[in-house]
This record gives sequence, structure tokens and C-alpha cells, in this order.
Amino acid sequence: MAVLEAVAADTANPVAADVRLPVPGRKTFSPRARQEALVFLTLALPNLLLIALFTYRPLLSNIYYSTLDWTLGSVDATVVGWGNYVEFFHSGDAGSVLGTTAVFTVATVGGAMVLGLLVAVALNQQIPGRTLARSAVFAPYVLSGVGVGMVWLFIFDPVYGVLSWVLRGVGLASPQWINDPALALVMVILVFVWKNLGYCAIVYLAGLQSLPHDVMEAATLDGAGPLRRFYFVVLPLLSPTTFFLLITSTLSSLQAFDIIKIMTPTGNGTGTLIFEAYLQAFGAYNRAGYSAAISVVLFVLLLIMTGLQLRFVERKVHYA
Amino acid sequence: MSRIINRRNFLTVTGLGLGSVALAACGGPSTGGNVPAAMNTDWAKVTPAAKITFMSSHPGKSADIEAALIADFEAANPGIKVELITGGANYEEVAQKFQTSQAGNNVPDVVVASDVWWFRYALAETVMPLDELLAVVGDKSAGFNATLFGDYKYTDKHWAVPYARSTPLFYYNKDHFAAAGLPDRAPATWEEFALWAPKIQAANAGNKGYQHAYQYPALAGYAGWTLQNVLWGQGGGWSKEWEITANSEASIKAMTWVQESITKDKWAGVSSKDAVSDMSAGAVSATVSSTGDLVGTLEAAKTAKMNIGVGFLPGGSVSASPVCPTGGAGLVIAAKTSPERQLAAAKFVSFITNAANTARFSAATGYMPVRDDADMTAVLATTPQIQLALDQLKVTRSQDYARVFLPGADLEMANAAAKIMNEKADVATSLGELQEKLESIYTKTVQPKLKD
Repeated sequence: MAVLEAVAADTANPVAADVRLPVPGRKTFSPRARQEALVFLTLALPNLLLIALFTYRPLLSNIYYSTLDWTLGSVDATVVGWGNYVEFFHSGDAGSVLGTTAVFTVATVGGAMVLGLLVAVALNQQIPGRTLARSAVFAPYVLSGVGVGMVWLFIFDPVYGVLSWVLRGVGLASPQWINDPALALVMVILVFVWKNLGYCAIVYLAGLQSLPHDVMEAATLDGAGPLRRFYFVVLPLLSPTTFFLLITSTLSSLQAFDIIKIMTPTGNGTGTLIFEAYLQAFGAYNRAGYSAAISVVLFVLLLIMTGLQLRFVERKVHYA
Repeated sequence: MSRIINRRNFLTVTGLGLGSVALAACGGPSTGGNVPAAMNTDWAKVTPAAKITFMSSHPGKSADIEAALIADFEAANPGIKVELITGGANYEEVAQKFQTSQAGNNVPDVVVASDVWWFRYALAETVMPLDELLAVVGDKSAGFNATLFGDYKYTDKHWAVPYARSTPLFYYNKDHFAAAGLPDRAPATWEEFALWAPKIQAANAGNKGYQHAYQYPALAGYAGWTLQNVLWGQGGGWSKEWEITANSEASIKAMTWVQESITKDKWAGVSSKDAVSDMSAGAVSATVSSTGDLVGTLEAAKTAKMNIGVGFLPGGSVSASPVCPTGGAGLVIAAKTSPERQLAAAKFVSFITNAANTARFSAATGYMPVRDDADMTAVLATTPQIQLALDQLKVTRSQDYARVFLPGADLEMANAAAKIMNEKADVATSLGELQEKLESIYTKTVQPKLKD
């Protein structure tokens, strides 16, 4: 305010008269700020354009397609508005698809994180061959899901699979892993957990190795045994890692496709949201609009899950 | 931090929103009903393109023979090159690629289309009727086997030509049958096989890894096709033209018989992946599979020193014949290309399905020759079992509309079969649910698009 009064009082001064008064509600940028903005745009714009073209445009297109009754490959379509969404939620499919998605996600995220933590604790000990063991544990994570699915399919095959051979050796018949829908879901969960276990283990291992030693020593001096130290000290200190893994693993499980597709081509018993979206458009029915609506439901679900995790789970996280 | 919504911000957000929606709407299907009508082409003024593409899944391990046929075509037509594209491992993967390619401008010219895909293409008009084009390139389409060519007829036009056409065959392990004291032949009816099965199972139960006298093919691999035979034999079916009959009394009876063979009589199982492989491994004594597996299976059996026999599909208590469905794949020509490419494609299609080349293709794979005037003498000299497929072709029956013309019907049939055969579900209830789903598919996705 003092500046404005000074400027107003000095209107006779030509230099001062040239100063423009700031307009309320309108920002002004210094030459330096403009230059920085230019550099920012030069560096970021190509990437932003690529993201807009290959991520956001397909996303918006998908939302638009979800409002159409459109047969894949056909050049014409009919606008149906919310029709595809109404049909999905009123059909018997929604319940089973969402249920299968929930079971698959909870089992794979829970399984991979719990087992990953146990493996990380084991790999954090001074044991012979530790480096080799770490590599072996992490290796499945970088393998192709298609390859993993095919190999495990051979293992589970009830006629000439390795598992069947082992079971026959002890006088047992192989369960119908592939044909029985309930067992098929168990089968793909086991394989998905096996594949992603290494990821959780390595991230937990990094978390374990960065724990402050003084806290652990203090707990030991206070008489806490290994189990009490693990439960009351290690787990809370690992909570940022757990939170990170919870978000990334949940997103990964909700988008799991390759292993399910290879091991159970018809999705009988293993029809998750993303698999149903595939089946509706490409796998069987050619209903591209309906499939797009299912994809949007998945997108919203992912958004809600991430939002809930950020809103509620992060409160429990202790940052050392 | 709070933000004031002023005129500038409002206009910016509104503009971005509208722009996004407009951008999203670009490139998709037309929703205004203003699809351009097909142009009439004066083929006499069209010169064949210099290069076309052929998308195939190489059915029956036919990659080598397809490459050889292409080489011969290029030699006979020096101005035209054909690029062979592997579109996937099966018909479904090829179909996915062909359909998604419609969104762009790089559409394959000639595509392998199975019995369940060509009709969808014809409805969507992504392929073109071939009668006129075949006449232009001088192909006497009358030479095609009438049943096989007739399978592709819709609105008085043929939308594909037969290529890798097959029927199911009854495959059996001769040694297992001999061990049970049975004749060296396929059973005449399923009822006869039901009498044989306990003997076969008892005689071979001591074999390492032995499981069942009969193995139903994997349900993921076209259950609707392989079960068609059992349904027809008992007087049932998936449909009678557009009337769905999946839960008719006869169909329920047929599928109950199937269920009991697995759960009650316990002489049959269901393959998890490939029934022919199960049989080759000695785990089962008989199965049903495509003629397209014939040559490969016989070669594998020879290597394994196993005696494999083949026979007609068994009949049923109501109908002994015809109970064998046609199947396999034909060739379609894409509509979304230039007349020059379509003309070159027609020349190619005509060439690889001509009498001499269909015989060569048949010899390499076991698929049936698609022309009546194909000389099969040399082929039969090396693989006499193909004669059986040729004989059976005379008593084939086109598949039920529900299986081949309803999108997703095959999957629904496989899922219903899984409930009945694997989960021991109530047959009438499962087929009732299937009936509803098939009727829904017909009403929603096919009926509105049907033309007279």
C-alpha cells in the first residue's frame, strides 16, 4: 500500500510514471520468471504432449466409447449414454466379476506382501549364498508373464504335469487345476504371488537394511526379544515401505492380465474386471463400447482405492 | 489454498473440457449414420496391386506349405508380391488383430477367418462379398465343395472361400482297444462306446499314468463344436436356425449323458489343454479332434511307436447320421483396401485354393481339400487316413447358427459345459442359463443387424 501511495505521489517523475500499477487479481511475471517458464516448457512440453497423446487421449476416448453401442471393427455405432454401465451393474456378471477381482486382489497383494516380508527377513540374515538367494527370489519378477504362465501351466497339467507326476508318486490323483473354476482361481493366485514375491521381498529388504540401528539396540537393551522387536519396532518402522508396497501391489493386481489369459483362456472362475473387459471387446463378444464401460469402472475403482489408501492408510505410517 | 473462479478460469476449463471431448471423439466410429455406401468398381479398369499381405495363424502347422504356395503364386504372377503375416497362434488371435486393424489404415488384404468369425466380419462389412471378384479373376467357384462353400453364404453372397476346412474325427489307441478285445474300428454310436468303455478302462488301468477310456477335448478349445456331435446324435442341438434350443429336452438328455459318463460311469475325463496330447501320452484311449490334427498326430504316434486309428464320429440313439459338423477356416478379403489390392488378393485366394494347391495343403496338414476336382491320389498314397475325412465330408452337417453366428456363443457354451462336466452342476439349470445368454446375444447384437 505504501508503494502505491509513493508512486501516486510521484506522477511528475517520468520514470515513476512509467511504472504500471498492478491490477487486482492479475499476476505479473518478472523477466526471470518468464525465462524460467520458457525453459520449463521447452523441456517438459514434448513429454507432456506425448503423455497427453498416448495416455490422456486414449483415456478420454475410452470414456467416450463407453457411451456407445459399438461392435469392434464396425465403422458405425449408436450412442447409448449410460446404457453400458446400467447393463453391467444390472447383469449377473457384475457381482461375479467384482467378487473375483476382490478375491484375486486381496489374496495376491496379501500373499506377496506377507511372504515377501518373511523372505526379506530371511535374506537379511548372514547366511551362506545370500546374494544368490536374493537374485533367485527376485528373478521371477522380471520374467515375462506369458512365459511364466506357460511353464506353470505345464507344472499344473493333471495328465502330464510335474505336479501330477509328484502326486502320482505318493498315490494321489491330481486335482483338476485348470478345469475346476475354484481351483483355477487358486492356481493363478499362486502363480501371481510367486512371480511378485521377489518384488515385495527386495523392497522390504531395502527397508530392513535402512532401519536405524540405535533404535534396535535400545529395544534390545530394554529386554525386547526378537519377536517383540519385530512386531513393535521393525514393523512400525517398515510402515512407509508397507504403504508403498500396498499401493503398487494393489494397482498391479487389479491390472493383472497375462498370467490369467495364458493359464485360463476362457476366464472360467478367473474373470477379473480387466479380463472381462478383454473378453467383451476382443476375446469373444466384440462389444467395444461395453468393454470400454468396464474399463472405466476399473479406472474409477483404481482411483478410489488409491485415494482411500492415501487418505486412511497413510495415517498409520511412521516415518523414521 | 483457495482459488477464485473468474470468467477467465471458467472459459479456460470449459474450453479444455470441450476440446478433450472433441479430441476423444476423433477417430472413433461414426455415430451419425452417415457411413459411406460401397462403391461399384469397374474391375476391368483395375490393375492388381504390386504387393498384398496375407494374415494367417498357420492352421495345422501350415507355415511351411503357406510359404511354398506364396512362392509359387509369386512365380506365376511376377507382378504381385505376397507378405505372409503371422497373426497369432489361433483363429481368435488373428481375429483380434484383423478387427483392431480396422481402426487404422494398415489392414491385411487376405485373412484366415474361422467358422465363427467370417459372419461377424460380413455383418460389420469389414470384408467383401467374393462372388464378383472370383468371377473377375476367372475362378469357377462352382468347383468348391458345395457344403463347404455354402457355409459362407449370407444375403445370397459368399463372404469367404473355404481354405483349412475340417471336421472332427474319432481318434483311438488301437493297442488299448485290442487289449480290451474290441474290434479295430471307431464305435458306430456313443451308446456302443459306453458299452466298450468299461472294458477298455479295465484292460488298460495298469498302464502307468492311465486315466480314462475317453477324453473330452479341452473346453477352452471349441467345446461348442466338439459337443455338437453328441447333441445331434441325441436329437438336440444349440439351435434350429435362429431359434435357440440349448435347453430343449433332447439337449438336456444329451448333456446329462455326457455328465454321467464323467461323474457316474467314470470312463471319461475332460482334457485341461489338448486331448490328442493326452492320448499320445497314453493317459486316455480315445478322443475327438479335428482332421487338421490328423497328419501331426499320426507322425507323433509313429515317433512314439503308438498305433493310432481314426474313424467317423459316432452317432447317437436318435440320429446316426449326419452328426458330423463342418469346421475350420476360410479366407476373407478386407473391404477397407483399394480395388487394386482387392483384385490382387482375389487372384491369390483363387490360386491357393485351386484344385492342385488344396490337395497340397491337405497333404501337409490333414485338412480337407476344398475343391471337388482336387486330385488326392498322391496324398492318399502317403496318408491313407485322409480318405476317411473325405468320406465323412459326404455326411457332414453345417453347424447350428447359435454356435457360429452369435458372438461369444462359443465361450458361453464352453462355460456351460464346464459347469456340467467339471462342476457337476444341474444340467437343466446350466442349459437354461445358457439359453438365456444365447437369446440375449441374438436379440442385442445380431438380430438388429440382420439383413433380409
